[in-house]
Order: sequence, then C-alpha cells, then structure tokens
Amino acid sequence: MAVVENHRESAHEKRLVARLQAGEAEALSALFELHVDRVFAYARHLLGNREDAEEVTSETFLRAFERVASFRGECPFRGWLFGIARNLCYDRLRQPRLLLLEPEEAERRTDQGDGATQMETRALVRQAIAALPEEYRLALTLCDVEEWDAREVAATLQKSLPATKSLLYRARRALRARLTELWEEEEPTDDAMR
Amino acid sequence: MRCDELLGLLDLYLDGELPEEMARRVDRHLLRCPACAYEARTLEQTRAMLREAIPPAETSPGFRERAAARLLDAFADRLRPAQEVEGTPQWPLPFLREE
Repeated sequence: MAVVENHRESAHEKRLVARLQAGEAEALSALFELHVDRVFAYARHLLGNREDAEEVTSETFLRAFERVASFRGECPFRGWLFGIARNLCYDRLRQPRLLLLEPEEAERRTDQGDGATQMETRALVRQAIAALPEEYRLALTLCDVEEWDAREVAATLQKSLPATKSLLYRARRALRARLTELWEEEEPTDDAMR
Repeated sequence: MRCDELLGLLDLYLDGELPEEMARRVDRHLLRCPACAYEARTLEQTRAMLREAIPPAETSPGFRERAAARLLDAFADRLRPAQEVEGTPQWPLPFLREE
C-alpha cells in the first residue's frame, strides 16, 4: 500500500515539475506546499535553530525553482531539492558567526514548568544525540521525532530503503549506548551528593 | 522463534511494521525471554526519551505565507496562471486524479 502511495506521490510530483517548467504559477505553489514542511524539518534538525532553518528553507526553494528548467528528472525531484537544502545547510554551518549562541527554542519550550529531573534527562538526551554522527542524528530525528516514513527519509538522505533502515537500526542502538554511558558517568556524582 | 531472529525483527516490531501474525510471535517470545524483552524495552525507552527531549520542528507563525509570497514575487515575470491546454487528456478514471 505504501509503495502504491509512494508511486502516486512521485507521479504527482513529476507532473507538478513539468507544469512548473512550463511556467505555471500554481505548480510552483503546489511544489512548495508539498515539500516545505519536510525541507524545514530537515534543516531545523541539521542546523539546530529555527531562524537559520527558515532562511535555508526559503533559499532552497528559490535556488531550486531558479534551476528547475535544467532539472531533467534523472533522480526524484525531492532528492534533488534536498541536495540543495543540504548544501545550503553545510554552507551555513561553515559560517562561524552563525553558530548557535542561544538556547534552542525547543529547550526553552519543553523545559518550562518541568521538574529538575526531567530537565536533566532532556539535557542528557540532547548531549547524547549531539555526540552522534550527523547521519545518525538525521535518521533518528526524521524517523523517530518527525515520524516520517522510512521511504521519505531514504529519498531525503538519497539512500536506498534497506540502507536507510540499517542506518536507523545502528543509530537507535548508538543513541542508547551513548545515553547509557552518560548515565553511568552521572551516577557517581549523584552518589557523592547524597 | 529464536533470539537472533527476533533481534533482526525488533525494529520492524517497534515501528508497527510487522504483519499481525509475526508481531504475535514476537510478543510471545518477549514474554518468555528476559534478554530480548530487555533489548526491546530499552530501545522503546530510548525512543520515548528522544521524543520527549526533541520536539518536532515547527516554523514560526506566518513563515509559510511569507516564504510562498517571496517565491511568487521572485518568479512573477516567468510564471503565468494555469490554463486549460487544448487537447489535455480527460481522466477516464476520476479517482486516479490527484490534483
């Protein structure tokens, strides 16, 4: 069933690209609507803050639509689009002045009104995920936080479905292992305070 | 079901992607095998903690509208409204039409 839906979505996307190449304004809006949330989520998790992710998202669509006339459909449009998003994210990450200097809005929001233990646990999870390779972080956040279908993640990361599932398998276990290590490091401190 | 078989299916099981009969076999194994039950429980807990610590990405209010308007503005001179093109094939099966 998911394969059929995937095929239909891909056919729909191809028609929209052809219509945009023919200059239809509605096709531009439709392609934007189809992908904007995913491009934003991808950039948000890669860059770590919303403002940069929004700028990169806008820029991604501007670049993609500027170049759409030369898009030949040799790979899925979404893979091509995410390739542009990825390059823009890396460009941004290379700019030292744009490194994150403020707490993520996610931290500010989720930590409001919670107890110290919950905040510590969240901080520990964020520390653990930050220590993972980027590919692992993306697989985990896109599959397990954003709850994208593994096929969507595969298209985004430009990997096969089995390779994506294998990546997710390793990423989940790496996160668990890192969390366990961090907890074991924390425990002696807790004991010493008692 | 053997432990090594179960471990190969565990992610599919936790993602709810196993066929019902297979999921029941995994359930039965997890009830009998503490080591596999521990493996399943710690993976589930890790995912729950991840979701708790990192919320889904959310754009700021009005971002989509502003970005869409910026795009339409940037390409205004190259775009035209959709028109019915002569000879456009009719959809013989209306339920296949996605737009």
